[in-house]
Amino acid sequence: MFLQLFDIIFYFFATVTLISAGIVVFSKNIVRSAFSLVFTFFGIAGLYVLLNADFVAVAQLFVYVGGILVLLLFAVMLTQKISNLQMKITTLHPIIAIILVASLIGVLCGIVRMNDWRIITISEIPQSTAQSIGKALITTHILPFEIISVILLVAIIGAAMLARKSEKKS
Amino acid sequence: MLTDFGRILIFFIVGIIFTAGGLITSWLLRPKRPYPAKLSSYECGEEATGDSRIQFNIRFYIIALIFVVFEVEVVLLFPWALVFKEFGMFAFIEMLIFLFILIVGYMYVWKKKDLEWDVPQPKNW
Amino acid sequence: MEFFSKADLIGTLPLLVVFGCSLLLLLLDALFKDAKKLVFSVGIIGMLTAIGCSLYTFPLSATAFSDMVLVGGYASFFNILFLTIGIIVFLLSYSYLEKQHYHLKEFYTLIVISISGMMLMASSADLIIIFLGIEIMSVCFYVLAGYKRIKVEGNEAALKYFLLGAFATGFLLYGIALIYGTMGTTNLIRISQNFDAFSHPLYLAGWGLLLIGFSFKIAAVPFHMWAPDVYEGSLTTVTALMSTGGKAAAFSSFILAFSIPLSMHNEKLMMVIAILSAASMLIGNVFGLAQKNIKRMLAYSSIAHAGYMLVGLASGTKLGMDGIIFYLISYSLTNLGAFGIISIFEKENGGNLSYEDYAGLGSRKPILAALLSLCMFSLVGIPPFAGFIGKYYLFASAVQSNLTWLAIIGVMTSLVSTYYYLRIVVYMYFRESQQSELIFVPSLALASVVLVSIGIFIFGIFPSLILNVIQNLL
Repeated sequence: MFLQLFDIIFYFFATVTLISAGIVVFSKNIVRSAFSLVFTFFGIAGLYVLLNADFVAVAQLFVYVGGILVLLLFAVMLTQKISNLQMKITTLHPIIAIILVASLIGVLCGIVRMNDWRIITISEIPQSTAQSIGKALITTHILPFEIISVILLVAIIGAAMLARKSEKKS
Repeated sequence: MLTDFGRILIFFIVGIIFTAGGLITSWLLRPKRPYPAKLSSYECGEEATGDSRIQFNIRFYIIALIFVVFEVEVVLLFPWALVFKEFGMFAFIEMLIFLFILIVGYMYVWKKKDLEWDVPQPKNW
Repeated sequence: MEFFSKADLIGTLPLLVVFGCSLLLLLLDALFKDAKKLVFSVGIIGMLTAIGCSLYTFPLSATAFSDMVLVGGYASFFNILFLTIGIIVFLLSYSYLEKQHYHLKEFYTLIVISISGMMLMASSADLIIIFLGIEIMSVCFYVLAGYKRIKVEGNEAALKYFLLGAFATGFLLYGIALIYGTMGTTNLIRISQNFDAFSHPLYLAGWGLLLIGFSFKIAAVPFHMWAPDVYEGSLTTVTALMSTGGKAAAFSSFILAFSIPLSMHNEKLMMVIAILSAASMLIGNVFGLAQKNIKRMLAYSSIAHAGYMLVGLASGTKLGMDGIIFYLISYSLTNLGAFGIISIFEKENGGNLSYEDYAGLGSRKPILAALLSLCMFSLVGIPPFAGFIGKYYLFASAVQSNLTWLAIIGVMTSLVSTYYYLRIVVYMYFRESQQSELIFVPSLALASVVLVSIGIFIFGIFPSLILNVIQNLL
């Protein structure tokens, strides 16, 4: 009973993710694409929860839906002539693209089939991951943790420098 | 853990049913007699002109960019906050260094006047 | 409770100095209005200090911060290389940015931070550190590529580099995730101790995806598309940094990561790298023939040189790895010299970049012309210069591990490349000049170019000076 419910929820989130991702890619209206991305991110967050990655799921909602998407919508609103903008969504080299993508998908699917997956029981699943992540950040992963702040610093400098209207004459 | 998120899912489903239900019932019950004046958007009696989707000021964008960076920082604060008591002073100093590096970035954008909102000068009326 | 010791801090001192220096530069930039000279000189002092620290940590051999980074030896050696590149780029940039009328203090801060990323990549003992190092370096490069925002080519370069770079980072991260999924660790030392994993298809797929990510960063065919446009659109001194420091950093962590699967003598993997290498040499050199813009020509040349260096990786031997490291040094010096001279010769609005503009430079500016010819000879790989020794070691390693066909392709394509490298020498000495404008040669830039050329000479005539050091690194 529990597993059946689990499967239903999984397929629900998977469908939401796939359909909305399709709209993002194929829609000719840039605003519709941007809003559809909300559902893609949301569906992925749901899938993370089903994988017992609670921290990643919350971070996904927090950062992607709450931050990146807002930024993306601002970017869309910044473009001129939003409403009657026709986006070019055709592929330039369809045959090469199909061959490349098909071979990549083929290889990955083949590997997924070849792999002998270990199936764990529900009792093995850890309760919450956020605490162990916190512990790792403080003990073994202290250097990567501090380096992340340097990356964020570069992001601030780059964003401010490139988006600044004009360098104030100094 | 899954059951906790299950509760959130139930909230979510109830929310969808509540909003969608309201819309659907009113759509079923209401009389449909549209005419041009009724279909136009209401602007306090003024006639609406132009498009509702206007071009935004680039200022919003810079603020949003800086906001996203600091949001990622806050996400990393959560797991730290959960275990910080176990490790005491050491964890505190570690987080101080982390925050210091970003505060330098904050000082930079502040001093460079990226956070200032330049108000467009009103034209002569 | 402490999770790192004093030894860890001392071991990573060069890295910490560079991080501290970049924070200081940012603060100075924010606090003082007109302080370009200050930021410039503090940056140089910081990098010199870091070189001193690297020399100090060189004899050490350990890991720091719970096996996250390597200390001493290999890491210190590359730190010195990156910091030297950084100082030379600083010296070249000051007058160049003045000439381009777009002199911002952020430029120096971003270069110092990107060098800290390179240093992380060369000292990584963990896949997470490789990823973070690549990200720090790449984000700085994306911004630097679009540094001159008013130029359309600059915007094009930044956007192309960013989109393709983010895509490649996706592959890299996917590879790391698969390796972590099969091994339960991202630590390279612990991964290398597990020999059973090679039967695992997911593990091999992880390495394959990692290979794609790295190939993009070193601009190997077929992941080279971004290089010509980005090299052309960026400011010349930024291109100098990308083509030398960026490539050297990518190769340094490439060697660190791929010595694990290569130590298993995996024939298939060696063959894949050999094919990438052959394709890069062929396409880089053949397309190089058709270029009219000297920066684009050097971009294709850098693709070809990535191919030469991949020969050493494909051989999988220690001789090959040593060859790559020596080649990286000679290639970095040569390219710094070439781009340095181009940046001196370039006009305000980015003119003077085609072959025709170099006509008659031999009589107008004999020193510049002689130095540029020297760089071109070294890029071809003509004996008294450093480029020759590097190529010799790489091709010898290929012959040693039964990849003679790869060495033959290498030699043949080097011959092809002679045409476009020497064409510029022909233009400089055997064509009449159509211009008579004065060329202003800034002394700092000239000094650094001369210094680099002396390096090319010394490492070409006495390669054992540096080879003895390199042989004890790995």
